[in-house]
Amino acid sequence: MAVSDTPPRPTLAQRIMASEHGFLALVLAVLIVVLTLSADRFLTPANAVAILHQSSLVLIVAVGMTFLLITAEVDISVGASLAFGSCVVMAVMNETNSILLGTLAGVGFGAAVGGINAVVTTVLRVNSLIGTIAMMMMLQGGVYLFTREAVQNHHQLPLFPKIATGYVLGIPVPAIIAAAVAAVGMVVLARMRAGRLALAVGANPSAARLSGYSPERIKAVAFVVTGALTGLAAVILTSLLNAGQPTAGTGFELTVIAAVLLGGTSLMGGRGTILGTILAVLILKVIDNGIIQMRWNQDLQIIIPGIVLILALYMDQRRRGGAGG
Amino acid sequence: MKTALKTVSALAIATGLLAGGAAAQEMPERIGYIVNYATHEWYQNVIKGMEDRAAELGIEIEVIDANLDIARQVAAAEDFMARDMDVIIMTPVNEEGVVPILRRAKADDMPVVLEGNPVQGMDVLVAICDYDTGYLAGVAAGELLKEEGRDTPRVMNVGLPLLSATILRSQGFMDGIQTIYPEAEMVHDLDGGGNPDRSQEVSSAALAADSDIDVIYGINDSSALGGLQAWRAAGLPEDDLLVVGTGAEGLAFLHEMFADGPFKLEAAMFPEMIGYTSIDTAVALFQGEDLPEHVVSPTTAVNVDNVTDFYSYDGESRQIQWDAVNALEAPAQCMKYASDL
Amino acid sequence: MVEDLATPEAPQTGDTDAARPTLRVQGLTKRFPGVLALDDVSLEVRGGEVLALLGENGAGKSTLIKLLAGVYRPDGGTIETGGVERHFASPADGLAAGIKVVFQEIALIEEFTVAENIFLEDHLAGRFGRVAWDEIRRRAAEIFDRAGFDIDPEVKVKDLSISQQQLVEISRALAHEAKIVIMDEPTSSLTPAEVRHLFGVIERLKAMGIAIIYVSHKLEEIFEIADTCVVLRDGKWVSTRPTAEHDHASLIKDMVGREITDLFPRSDRPLGDTVVEVRGLSTATGLSDIDFDVRAGEVVGFFGLMGAGRTELAKAIVGYDPILSGEIRIAGTQLTPHDTRRGKALGIGLLSEDRKGEGLMLEASVTRNMTLAALDKFTARGFVDAAAERAQAQSFVDRFRIKLARLDQPIGTLSGGNQQKALLSRWLMFGLRTIVLDEPTRGIDVGAKAEIFALIDELAADGFAVILMTSEMPELLGLSDRIFVLSGGRITGSFDTETATQEAILDAAIK
Repeated sequence: MAVSDTPPRPTLAQRIMASEHGFLALVLAVLIVVLTLSADRFLTPANAVAILHQSSLVLIVAVGMTFLLITAEVDISVGASLAFGSCVVMAVMNETNSILLGTLAGVGFGAAVGGINAVVTTVLRVNSLIGTIAMMMMLQGGVYLFTREAVQNHHQLPLFPKIATGYVLGIPVPAIIAAAVAAVGMVVLARMRAGRLALAVGANPSAARLSGYSPERIKAVAFVVTGALTGLAAVILTSLLNAGQPTAGTGFELTVIAAVLLGGTSLMGGRGTILGTILAVLILKVIDNGIIQMRWNQDLQIIIPGIVLILALYMDQRRRGGAGG
Repeated sequence: MKTALKTVSALAIATGLLAGGAAAQEMPERIGYIVNYATHEWYQNVIKGMEDRAAELGIEIEVIDANLDIARQVAAAEDFMARDMDVIIMTPVNEEGVVPILRRAKADDMPVVLEGNPVQGMDVLVAICDYDTGYLAGVAAGELLKEEGRDTPRVMNVGLPLLSATILRSQGFMDGIQTIYPEAEMVHDLDGGGNPDRSQEVSSAALAADSDIDVIYGINDSSALGGLQAWRAAGLPEDDLLVVGTGAEGLAFLHEMFADGPFKLEAAMFPEMIGYTSIDTAVALFQGEDLPEHVVSPTTAVNVDNVTDFYSYDGESRQIQWDAVNALEAPAQCMKYASDL
Repeated sequence: MVEDLATPEAPQTGDTDAARPTLRVQGLTKRFPGVLALDDVSLEVRGGEVLALLGENGAGKSTLIKLLAGVYRPDGGTIETGGVERHFASPADGLAAGIKVVFQEIALIEEFTVAENIFLEDHLAGRFGRVAWDEIRRRAAEIFDRAGFDIDPEVKVKDLSISQQQLVEISRALAHEAKIVIMDEPTSSLTPAEVRHLFGVIERLKAMGIAIIYVSHKLEEIFEIADTCVVLRDGKWVSTRPTAEHDHASLIKDMVGREITDLFPRSDRPLGDTVVEVRGLSTATGLSDIDFDVRAGEVVGFFGLMGAGRTELAKAIVGYDPILSGEIRIAGTQLTPHDTRRGKALGIGLLSEDRKGEGLMLEASVTRNMTLAALDKFTARGFVDAAAERAQAQSFVDRFRIKLARLDQPIGTLSGGNQQKALLSRWLMFGLRTIVLDEPTRGIDVGAKAEIFALIDELAADGFAVILMTSEMPELLGLSDRIFVLSGGRITGSFDTETATQEAILDAAIK
């Protein structure tokens, strides 16, 4: 190829637009500045903590979902699994009076749901979009066979509410858990063999198979991890509501998937980062929070993220289209 | 319309019925109830009250769940009519949807008692007064704060602006509290969707904006608890907070009340009593008694000192205490209706 | 617009028209961000002439074609047809000016019939109204008649072979009275018989006075069909000469820019033990009863036409596809079918013919593409040692002279030849002993081809067992020690290279 004289040095704006996360960081920064100027209570430590708090549940599941989308699969059942899981957590704690057993039950329940999703997708070869919608329906119906009403806290273990409402060094416990999950996810995806294989399977499953790996096995792991993290989120949700709530989690899966896509992970697989997911979760939650701070109609909390998602994916496509030849 | 309402309370009907001598009049044998949404704890307690009262009177009761599906509700009504039930009780899935059923029932001479919301062309409605319920709780909240010598309270309303009933509750609460503190202010007016997760989320954001709050009012227990959990998650001190729930539909409010926390008041709506009153009203209708268009089921504000008068509580279950509930007086009509909004 | 087209002068009339070029391109230039894709290129083509456009990948051939088709707009220079300067805003304008491009990826609507596709534009514009199907069919049949094509106008396009689909594309050109037909690598997926047929069609188009621009890598075809050769290199014009003045060496030299003396080197390759033993192999993909052995240090070539079972055999013996019956032993150990992990552990791997579909992770870096199979070598306790990985990748880049800007650039930005070398590195880095190469030079430049051939020779000399699947006769004869011919999923002939002739091999291939 004939490379002409060196192209003009890109401006700072161009470099931000071209970098993987610059655009998202820019959007987040602009949102924060605009909200700080227009809502006097926005930039307060209390509000920052509230945003972190609300981001935690979504982020924990979004980390798993990032891996899953990278392998070119998706899980629509996380919202329903979250609700069912929260009932399981509370029921087991009521039965055993043990936070540990309740937590294990929640994580185990989520992982089992993920395992079934994995079998449906990789063994029965049902498209994961359809398979997990079916799973969502089964969980939504199944939870009512399990309990017709919210599972109340009968154990009254004093430590339990602290999982969601406690603070360590001024930081909410759920935010710490989410940060830990995200940090592990980041390391696995960027530095470890498992992350590499997830990317490879998503980028080109045939190439991965020819190179001596089993795409099914790798996808199955991603499903189970996503499920287990959903179970972990269910433990926190149960603590937050102080009840197992069969009707919780409505639309949760959409928020999670929207965040992962907004974060630059490809729906076709093979591309994605945890940092992008973190930024996107924060963007969505800052918008959410800002709408209440500005005392706008709360229905906008669903409408605006929809618009943001379309705009972000459009910008991303333009950016990629411009970079190619 | 309201001027036409007669001043007959539900209690009067019940006592009148029993005093009149059951032997003298024919009793209905079978009553069918079509509930809009049996999954909800509220309706489970309504059903429980119906079953208790029906058993007492020796009436057979059958319940069908429409599960929020108007088509299913219509089908269930047709089924009941075909099977010649003596009376049908119905909680409408939506008001327009049941109008044709009522018309057909009238043509068939089938007595129908509506529960919950009024519908054009109905015989009789059994319902609580939403505004009054909030109002009584508001007055009780004001008195409680006054006793503690507190300044003018700032209120966070975890509401549900979608439904007229829940708007009335919130309005009643503010009007009630303003009888004691005329300057009481609603600082946050939130849409908590009536469920705890959404209520928790919107309350968190609102508290982050302004956490100088003295009272959290929830239009149902889930909303109040969602608001309280948001308060806790924000790490705010609970000592000077007052949480007021509405409904008394399950165990959650009892747990909180007995935990000696900020959840000190509950606007109790006694779903069991609604069931009980519905059966009595059905019997009266069957026997051709003269009934007001709206039979009011009583509500009251309860606190930790008197809650056990109405509900026995052992930590794992609750039992309604009929004596105390039956002793409550229901007003002849509500202070404010949806049509006044 | 189509009507405007029909008016220009008929092609075969007086001498003045014959003297005037049908298409004249002057100083055409196209710039992409950072790249001058086409730099001041001029050419002319007349009615009844076949002009071959030659050059390596990236030479600017496809850019030139897309400019002529109206897909791109030029940054400089002019395009004239019939003596009139044209400015194309869209492909429709190109077609309106009489230029029809038959691209490699054929742009027909599969669910429509042949006739509907030919009159697609009119059809979509509603020109024929709702009931003019008979008219469409009649006109399609008329065109086929004129051009001598044997196609049923009422068949759906998806039921046609690739070569028949090409004919439909050419028919679209005829339907629009195109004066210039451009064919981009038209023979890349055709059987030899189909190629012969296509050449017949080209002769007929010539006779109809249509100018043809023919783009191909295959020099044999150029010598057979082209009147004139235009060679581009690095976006620049290099030479325009009558084909008669060229020979293989001079064309390659113009394209590559240097002389290539020995395309197929053959080192001393000492034979080792038998590494691959295949007995009675049959698969659901159509192979039946395949037997062969391969020894270390040996290149065994499998020849076959399209659909003969080359790729199917390649995929079965590395454990990619399941098998029905038979046995595959690698270095004496039985291979578990449908389990590439086992095959890899036994030291056998496949370089797929479908680089994009089954080889490359296009958006991933060159390094990550190269180290995919050998990842475990760089992994300790689950962590990948990125520095070791880069160092290893760099050593292979140096060894194979892979041309790139940075190791972390996406592999999709490399040329086909460099991509192929990177994929070969993927397996060599892992340390295979048996490699199956399926069409290893498909879509690769002449220069890079020579390097890949040298590499294959080097591997065999190092004691690799090499199994080569190819449909290219020169490659087969030049590289293999022994030759098997596949046809219909069976082995229909086996030869030693010394005794093999093209005729005998082709004979076996059509058995």
